[in-house]
Amino acid sequence: MANDKQKMFAKHMELKYTKEHGTNKMEGGDITDKTVTYYRLGVDQNPRKLEMKKAGKELADKRGLVGYNPMMHCGGIPLGQRALTPSFLSGTDDMVEIDDLHYVNNAAMQQMWDDIRRTVIVGMDMAHETLEKRLGIEVTPETINHYLETLNHALPGGAVVQEHMVETHPALVDDCYCKIFTGDDELADEIDKQFLIDINKEFPAEQAEQLKAAIGKTSWQAAHIPTIVSRTTDGGQTSRWMAMQVGMSFISAYSMCAGEAAVADLSYAAKHAGVIQMGEMLPARRARAPNEPGGIPFGHLADIVQTSRVDADDPAHVALEVVGAGCMLYDQIWLGSYMSGGVGFTQYATAAYCNNILDDNLYYNVDYINDKYDGAANKGTDNKVKATLDVVKDIATESTIYGLENYEKYPTTLEDHFGGSQRATSLSAAAGSAVSLATGNGNAGLSGWYLCMYLHKEALGRLGFFGYDLQDQCGATNVLSYQSDEGLALELRGPNYPNYAMNVGHQGGYAAITSAAHAGRGDAYAVNPLIKVCFADKLLPFDFTKPRKEFARGALREFEPAGERSLIIPAK
Amino acid sequence: MAYEPQYYPGATSVAENRRKHMSGKVEKIRDISDDDLTLILGHRAPGSDYPSTHPPLAEMGEPECSVREMVEPTPGAKAGDRVRYVQFVDSMYNAPSTPYFRSYAAAINFRGVDPGTLSGRQVVEARERDMEELAKFQMETEMTCPALASLRGATVHGHSLRLPEDGVMFDMLDRCRKEGDVIIMHKDQVGRPIDKKVNLGKPMSAEEAAKRTTIYRVDNVAFRDDAEVIEWVHRVFDKRTIYGFKPEN
Repeated sequence: MANDKQKMFAKHMELKYTKEHGTNKMEGGDITDKTVTYYRLGVDQNPRKLEMKKAGKELADKRGLVGYNPMMHCGGIPLGQRALTPSFLSGTDDMVEIDDLHYVNNAAMQQMWDDIRRTVIVGMDMAHETLEKRLGIEVTPETINHYLETLNHALPGGAVVQEHMVETHPALVDDCYCKIFTGDDELADEIDKQFLIDINKEFPAEQAEQLKAAIGKTSWQAAHIPTIVSRTTDGGQTSRWMAMQVGMSFISAYSMCAGEAAVADLSYAAKHAGVIQMGEMLPARRARAPNEPGGIPFGHLADIVQTSRVDADDPAHVALEVVGAGCMLYDQIWLGSYMSGGVGFTQYATAAYCNNILDDNLYYNVDYINDKYDGAANKGTDNKVKATLDVVKDIATESTIYGLENYEKYPTTLEDHFGGSQRATSLSAAAGSAVSLATGNGNAGLSGWYLCMYLHKEALGRLGFFGYDLQDQCGATNVLSYQSDEGLALELRGPNYPNYAMNVGHQGGYAAITSAAHAGRGDAYAVNPLIKVCFADKLLPFDFTKPRKEFARGALREFEPAGERSLIIPAK
Repeated sequence: MAYEPQYYPGATSVAENRRKHMSGKVEKIRDISDDDLTLILGHRAPGSDYPSTHPPLAEMGEPECSVREMVEPTPGAKAGDRVRYVQFVDSMYNAPSTPYFRSYAAAINFRGVDPGTLSGRQVVEARERDMEELAKFQMETEMTCPALASLRGATVHGHSLRLPEDGVMFDMLDRCRKEGDVIIMHKDQVGRPIDKKVNLGKPMSAEEAAKRTTIYRVDNVAFRDDAEVIEWVHRVFDKRTIYGFKPEN
């Protein structure tokens, strides 16, 4: 049955390995060939490497100090002894240079992280109660609109209340704004549409009902401070910047006394009592502020990604977009730079979101589950199969063996995922997400992830990097541990969960497994309805409905980022 | 009745080969001289003394210690050798060994070894002469095909790549080549040219490699077909999962 379906990776493998790119001589042959000619053409075979080589030489001439020189690799033997091939972002036909998937070379990747780090959600209700009950000030939709107009002047750095103040230039902070959302349709109707994230408009009806029921009559501000501010400081600055401008805007909009004690209550609400950070603060040994990637739970990331509201009937697609976003953020930026440094992590991460290899594995699993478990992988709650170890073993084993056999039948896919860590991520993300889709249970999915690691290791006599042995051999024991931190629901685990802090190639997969459990059920959100609504906003520079397409636009140099400094530097 | 280790489940040739590697009962199929081995390892000049990091243990006046009395030092430790490494890369196209089975073979059959297991390479660190004993054993036996496995200290890329036409696993640094009907190594583990071409012997034929390999492949012995191994993996998985949930059982 599904074994015979068209392999989703076939087209990309053919373009990568049987068509010439640059001057790499990859012309002819078949994607099932087990032998190939190695021409040892070096970096000159690849257009981007050539561009970089030229830039490195110009840099050395200009500054009188050597820099990038590919001939420094291994005593004069440069990269490119095998063919340097491009990649395709999964789910797209966009062919990109692999160098352009390093976040330094990709403005879209940078902006995805910028848009998360500079976001904070602040409740309005505590502030309104302070104004009404303590000060006797009437709060109406009209005053809320006036306040929001004031805040959208002040939040980017415009002055209110005080005289002779410096201000930020609007053209440098044009990505900064604040909108509002509520589960109260009557209040939403009264809010000026420019300020409103309209749940009824942005979400399918059944998701909108879930979200409104969860949010109720409360109202929330979705605030995004300027990218340039966030980049200059850190994620901890987001709530502080927001809280300061919120306080000033309340004073101005409601004609308060600047020194009255109620202002402190407003500040406290904005900074602490009524604030939702995207990421929690990290402990001292990994000392980071709130809103840094190591503190973002997998459930939060599943909610930040918005594919679930635009393609709800394809929960596998939802999980795959979360894989892309998660591998980029957690592997390339968090582990790859914050925690480690260097450039190697990109190769780990891109395996999960390039060339449709993982996609093929997961969609095969969807067919397998739907055939065997009566449509359990389709969106729904009544169609799920009970999460038992037998179900986990059945689905994860079939998924893993299917994926392994693809590497064996299609040597080009093995060559594409040339490292065991890449294969482990792809295979386990497929197995785990599949179990999640079938059961609607993220921890069952996680169980599938670990079984996949065991099977993979036994089949090939190898797994991933050293740490895979540590993390993945003890992982099953923590899936349902009676100890509260170890046995935490996957939605609430994150990069700082004890065993997850050490190894690349996992966290994006875990986020996808979380997402698959809820997308599979048709849930509007995984863990936090406020975060899901906050990012349902087309005004954000990064389109969170399709992270992988955005990464492609970044790699193709088509993405327009925010926070640029061109206005204040000499023109080139 | 004396205990006989079973090592590994499974009813296929791959499972049987895994048991052989783990037991150390593997067939010797080539000779590599001590000097040639020293050359390709690249840690010291052939014929030179072993550099040491401390005096021989007998001269050190060790403190009274029951563990020291119970555990006989390895020859390398006794002599004060420095710690050095050997690192193998095994092709996924039916190389006889795989990283885990090299590690198991080392840890079960040799003393004083520190194996590290990755996907594309497998490293063993040990006192230099102890490491050489292990390296010679693994290189001279059916654990190694010189075309499908090679010594690589760094720049190890190649285990998962398609084979070139001559069947010698891709190596960015071109340390091994096929010359005539044998494989020669003309650079050491980290790619430094060496003074002579070291003959590593004949490569295995495709049929022989398929017969001796410890990797499951769908075009040889499919993992799917070794039911006992999969059952055993499931059992390990069950036990580890349940242990975390209800440790008293």
